[in-house]
Amino acid sequence: MSQMLSPDMTIAAEAIAGKAKIEVKNLNFYYGQSKALKDITLSLPERSVTAFIGPSGCGKSTLLRVFNRIYELYPKQTAEGQVLLDGQNVLDRSQDLNLLRTKIGMVFQKPTPFPMSIYENIAFGVRLYEKISKSEMDGRVEQALKRAALWTEVKDKLNASGLSLSGGQQQRLCIARTVAVKPEVILLDEPASALDPLSTAKIEELIDELQADYTIVIVTHNMQQAARVSKQTAFMYLGELVEFDRTEKIFTSPREKRTQDYITGRFG
Amino acid sequence: MSAVQEALPAIRGSRDATVRRFALTDAIFHGMTRAAAILVLVLLGGVAISLFAGSWQALSTFGFSFLTSESWNPVTEKFGALAPIYGTIITSAIAILIAVPLGIGIAIFLTELCPRPLRRPIGMAVELLAGIPSIIYGIWGLFVLAPFLQTTVQPFIISAFHGIPGLNSLFAGPPYGIGLLTSSLILAIMVLPFITSITKDVFDTVPPVLKESAYGIGCTTWEVTRRVVIPYTRIGIMGGVMLGLGRALGETMAVTFVIGNAHRISTSLFAPATTISATIANEFTEAVGDLYTSSLVALGLILFVITFLILAIARYMLMRIDARTGA
Repeated sequence: MSQMLSPDMTIAAEAIAGKAKIEVKNLNFYYGQSKALKDITLSLPERSVTAFIGPSGCGKSTLLRVFNRIYELYPKQTAEGQVLLDGQNVLDRSQDLNLLRTKIGMVFQKPTPFPMSIYENIAFGVRLYEKISKSEMDGRVEQALKRAALWTEVKDKLNASGLSLSGGQQQRLCIARTVAVKPEVILLDEPASALDPLSTAKIEELIDELQADYTIVIVTHNMQQAARVSKQTAFMYLGELVEFDRTEKIFTSPREKRTQDYITGRFG
Repeated sequence: MSAVQEALPAIRGSRDATVRRFALTDAIFHGMTRAAAILVLVLLGGVAISLFAGSWQALSTFGFSFLTSESWNPVTEKFGALAPIYGTIITSAIAILIAVPLGIGIAIFLTELCPRPLRRPIGMAVELLAGIPSIIYGIWGLFVLAPFLQTTVQPFIISAFHGIPGLNSLFAGPPYGIGLLTSSLILAIMVLPFITSITKDVFDTVPPVLKESAYGIGCTTWEVTRRVVIPYTRIGIMGGVMLGLGRALGETMAVTFVIGNAHRISTSLFAPATTISATIANEFTEAVGDLYTSSLVALGLILFVITFLILAIARYMLMRIDARTGA
């Protein structure tokens, strides 16, 4: 299947404009014995939003978790192949994991504020790698919160616990925290699926603004969301990359029948 | 049709009988389980009442000075509980000071760092420590640990801190081997498994995704543990520490072997001392007068109250973390 596809894929990759930030080459991923990603090859353009869509269990979250090697926290999960970040293979043994993760930030499906104040939630990550003064830190925190469209809501209670915020606010706090450490890539794993429509709209607006500075990869179940926020979309099914193209193309005239069936709701 | 209608009253009758039988067995079962539960309360109340009744003579004779007097003289029948209370609290506090960092360290290693195949063996080894009877700790403490401390560790510490104000009175000679510090060490080993296993359990309640997000911004394992895992589980850890403390306060046999059983308060940690439970265990057989016996029972009452308070605080803290993780 994938061999049949590859000439088409090359054409698609050319159709996608921009310099590649992340290039995935022949990536296979295993949970113990079971293969979760099958020979994935794709390239994600810099400063642009890429969406991964597909039914549950298709491997889209798994692929995302390979980029910052967060999967390595768990035993028996292995990746083979190459993931190049600016031409450097991040799967290389010599890659420093902490450094990699400061370059590739991640936001999860459920908001995960740390058990500390709103201010500290953001300052914590910054302080890990930078020694800056209190006033500079104040500026960084404010900037990050403004970036995440949360500043006006929390500026009077920066010392309150991060856990005291609403779900939507917590998720924006997590985005602010990720932005504050100045990553190059932001991975979003279904960032809005636990949120109400209003918060979702805010997050989507935010993603749209952030792509001016960051390379963003978003995994989503919500196809309208993928269509709204992304420039290019990858459709995955059963661990394979079925189709990867500009988002309009995927949603208006997909090349593959399976993509067509999925986006029109015939399965998945 | 008509056959069924004829049969109906008979079926109803047998059904009613069955329902009545069910109701009866249900009521019996209900009553029995409730009686079992009430029995616990009755026992607890009974213990409290008999302790109070037994200690009444001592408490009414000495009044408040029972808690503040250091003298413990069976000949003149002047009894004060201050020395055993002091010994109990100091040995338990030092034991906790030693066991908490060790226990948290083991728990961090087991949950965050340990290679998976080693996790169970080490975890089980720690829990086996809890299974060793306390008399064995006592014998080991008296015949192995105390002589070792007496001949090597204590002389070294005494000479090292000699002349340093504060420390020289805290570690003053002569090296007996047995005493406050030796008891504390034994107690630390005994409460270690409790603190370790509870800390390990509460560490496991940290949502993986929370740890992932901390690793996701570039934290090292130390930073994740220090800044996310421990703050998140703070209340649970406190609960575990309190349970360990409750256990240390009441431990009798092992402490009786190595404490030295001396009714006095000394600033030196090497000096022989006594605890509430060690005093009771040692002196009950030789308590001749009513007032003597009553004073020992009063000591028991004091220990009961201290332990009860500590355990109540521990339960309360564990309840709070349960409520939070359940939400």
